[in-house]
Amino acid sequence: MAGEYIPLLVAVPLAGAFFCALAARKSGVLADTIGTLIVALVLALSIYAVVSPPSTHAVGGWPAPLGILLVMDGLASLMLLVVSLVAFLVMIYSLSYMNAYSGRWQFHTLFLLMLAGMNGVVITGDLFNLFVFLEVASLASYALVAFGTGKHELEAAFKYAVMGSLGSLLLLLGIAFLYGYTGTLNMAHMAERLGELGVAPITVAALVLLLSGFALKAAIVPFHSWLPDAHPSAPAPISAMLSGVLIKSLGVYTIARLVFNVYGASPDLLNLLLVLGAVSMGIGVILALRQWDMKRLLAYHSVSQVGYMILGFGLGSPLGILGGLFHLFNHSIFKSLLFLNSGALEQATGTRNLKEMGGLSGRMPTTSWTTLSASMSISGVPPFSGFWSKLIIVMACVEQGRWFYGAWAILVSVLTLASFLKVTKFAFLGKLGKGFENVREVPWPMRFGMVVLALLCIVGGLMLVPEVKEMVLTPAVRVLDHGILTLGEVVRL
Amino acid sequence: MSLENLFSLDLFSFSPLAWLAAAFAGLFFILVVIYSLNFMKGRKGLFRYYLYTVLTLVLTLGVIFADNLLLLVILWGFLGLLLYLLIGFGRTPSTPATARKALLIVGGTDAMMLLGLALVWFLVYGPGTGLSGLAKLSFSTVTIPVAGGLSVAAFLLLASAALAKAGAMPFHTWVPDMAEDAPIPVTAYLPASLDKLLGVFFLARISLELFILDSTLGIVLMALGSITIMAAVMMAMVQHDMKRLLGYHAVSQVGYMVLGIGTGNPIGICGALFHMFNHTIYKSCLFMAAGAVEKSMNTTDLHRLGGLAKLMPLVFGAFFVASLSISGVPPFNGFASKWMIYQGIIGTAGNGWTWIIWLTAAMMGSALTLASFMKLIHAVFLGQASPHVTKIAESSRPGTPFALAAPIAVLAVLCILFGVFADRIPFGELFSPVLAGEPVFPGLWSSTSATILILAGLFLGMVVYLLGSAGKTRSVAPFIGGEDLDARPSMRVSGVDFYSTVKDVKPLGVLFDWAERKHFDCYVVGLRFADFLGGILSGLHNGLLGRYVLWCLAGVVALYLALIG
Repeated sequence: MAGEYIPLLVAVPLAGAFFCALAARKSGVLADTIGTLIVALVLALSIYAVVSPPSTHAVGGWPAPLGILLVMDGLASLMLLVVSLVAFLVMIYSLSYMNAYSGRWQFHTLFLLMLAGMNGVVITGDLFNLFVFLEVASLASYALVAFGTGKHELEAAFKYAVMGSLGSLLLLLGIAFLYGYTGTLNMAHMAERLGELGVAPITVAALVLLLSGFALKAAIVPFHSWLPDAHPSAPAPISAMLSGVLIKSLGVYTIARLVFNVYGASPDLLNLLLVLGAVSMGIGVILALRQWDMKRLLAYHSVSQVGYMILGFGLGSPLGILGGLFHLFNHSIFKSLLFLNSGALEQATGTRNLKEMGGLSGRMPTTSWTTLSASMSISGVPPFSGFWSKLIIVMACVEQGRWFYGAWAILVSVLTLASFLKVTKFAFLGKLGKGFENVREVPWPMRFGMVVLALLCIVGGLMLVPEVKEMVLTPAVRVLDHGILTLGEVVRL
Repeated sequence: MSLENLFSLDLFSFSPLAWLAAAFAGLFFILVVIYSLNFMKGRKGLFRYYLYTVLTLVLTLGVIFADNLLLLVILWGFLGLLLYLLIGFGRTPSTPATARKALLIVGGTDAMMLLGLALVWFLVYGPGTGLSGLAKLSFSTVTIPVAGGLSVAAFLLLASAALAKAGAMPFHTWVPDMAEDAPIPVTAYLPASLDKLLGVFFLARISLELFILDSTLGIVLMALGSITIMAAVMMAMVQHDMKRLLGYHAVSQVGYMVLGIGTGNPIGICGALFHMFNHTIYKSCLFMAAGAVEKSMNTTDLHRLGGLAKLMPLVFGAFFVASLSISGVPPFNGFASKWMIYQGIIGTAGNGWTWIIWLTAAMMGSALTLASFMKLIHAVFLGQASPHVTKIAESSRPGTPFALAAPIAVLAVLCILFGVFADRIPFGELFSPVLAGEPVFPGLWSSTSATILILAGLFLGMVVYLLGSAGKTRSVAPFIGGEDLDARPSMRVSGVDFYSTVKDVKPLGVLFDWAERKHFDCYVVGLRFADFLGGILSGLHNGLLGRYVLWCLAGVVALYLALIG
């Protein structure tokens, strides 16, 4: 078996989390070291997963469908790469940023728990196991949102926890329905059984429950209302993780798995995804345009950008799926960068209100150009990475004859540009704001994280160079485009 | 598609027209850099300024020579960002807003261009070829006859990017704002010259190389062009800032180019392209002259200027030549190209009666341009000096440094040369492949002999004057209503209000009023609408947990209803 390393992707961060809690309570430096090393190790494992062929691992030697099967296919490895790459850079950034907070070991413990949960969701082939990991990641994120323990943080975390639990409840119900109907929890086996048993009212009900639950985690309109409160309240590195990767691994990825690999993409279901995606895109961006709190603005854009991914998936064609996945990759890069930028600005100026900032490009050159490149990327200005994924999504819309959705994607892109030009205008251009004469650029660990992410925004288009695309993106597209996977196929990986 | 295939694609094509446009771009780059050496002296971030300037040139050359559509779109989009960064060097309080507006309009139309590109890909290769198909689209291999909604949409989407870049309506509003707020060399470099080259050149290529237009689309272009000419020149007439006034003319003149391309006949197209080159010459000359005025007087407000002809004779001379040129007075270059465009419009007479409207608009536009430049020249150079000018002239002797004067002078000389020798230019060779064959000039016209006749006429007039009435005239100090003006500076006529009565004309008054309230500005209207929608939506987000939970439950029900059917 080639898949022996797969459990490590969960075990390593999980062990790191507990070790941090046990051994590093006294020493912040030790906690930092453990956190950084563990995340670096996870990144290395993820890169290994990308370059090595697909494989599976039966936990504890129990064969599927009874035991839990961990599946490392193209989609899982892509997601892992995204998650661990962002986690690593965010971790470096937080080494300096989190100096403003107390409770180093708690931060690292929760961070690593969240990472373990996300990795678990991505690699597991078992629906209930997925739910467990999803809860691990969610619970860690509730606590992290409240990390500042201020009034707003606690309120946002409470709302987030209530809404998140509602989502988990829906999911659990859906899983129970499906388990009762098919008698299995293994996703590939479940897909086979669903095919044999055919559509029944209970499968539709289960689909609705699962889709709603995952949509809540992905913050798709109308399930998005918790996100604009929760994401801005967390410390900046956590906001970057939440908006950058958490909503994707817990929400977008799971929707894709459910729709394509478990239920199979029927035209009705795809149409529903198209509508959900388009509505999210529009509502998110229009609300973002009105925001003056930089992090809240970014949070609404997450709602809008997730819509693009869902729209890409909803097209159902290989090109659309490629666009959706590539946009997922790019979005995690530029959105986490934007949240890190907002953290740098907040730390340097003490405010998140765009109206109070101004003229900071001279004082904070690194923050300024990295924000600009991320803004251009999310707005789809060539040659930044977001341009390429939006181009593919628009092409896919056109290819399917979905003119309206193509035009809609363009319109939302223009509004996104409007909104981000507002950010760069108010934060960086014009006259220096009052009291900012002594503002200085942030320390190097924060700059490092931002610069690497900004470079990734600039060269992100190279992911489409055929050699790279074949290795990273195409296997993931193939997994979704293949449709329902049978247990036999998965076990043979 | 592998990497090797990508590089084996024909990315560039080197046509004579592209070389010519590249030569112009290079010329303007050199002139703007010389000009900036003095104008931008002492500002912060000069390294970045020159870096962006050079990058703009490189990308512009890339767009001009690009044969591959995808490559063109990428380079084109990046130019928008450079425009934004360059505007950022302005120092007025409204600079950030202007930079945002410019990039939003230019970048927004770039996004539309992207959809147009996808449509072209769909029309040519159809589904299934993916990115490798997209990367193969090129001007030299693809020809699409315009028939049916899709091809029309594709053309209009691509054209919108061209129009926005060139500053034609309805995407023009960033140009006057930028003229007011950006540093003058940047305005002279981008909207006055390079962006015109890019936009009109691209419009010509898509109209003539990529698509085969039918007469309806031609009429659409001609209508857009005519509206642009008239509306922008009317706006220019009532401006009271020198730079902003020139900015509206930069919009108005694009109308001629769009109109010329819309005619679809060789002479009209040839005139449009020739006008594009001419425009870059006289318009940068005008902007640079305005910059020289700003540099020495610290203002471009027409109220505070006047009488500068004595203080800055060279700038005045160059400005005068360029003004006559933009107004289409023979024998300067603006006339030569406008003349060809008129011929082109008359050439479309076979397609119905509409040509009369376009011809009227074009000619009226020229007349109004002349009128507004009379106002400008009076207010800035002739007229009576304002107290502000007098004060500066007394305290320091304002001169024009060489670095500012040289580019202005060179451009003014070019205005004359391109006008006088217009009939010696081998348009057929130079403007291929966009232009197929030498345009045929109907009627009798030779710019060189016309120049000689004009000069002879002027000379004759001079002789008559000197022989006849020179001795009988008397010169007195300027006066109004019998009051000596020099003694009463408060009675000075600045010229700002020359044409403000145009607002009293019934239908025009309403239009001017709407224009002042920005009802015609796609940027403002769009953002207002988005803000209106956002107001409704954020009213729904009141932060109450119970309501949010209700939404979720409603969402579950909605999903159920959608999937059960």
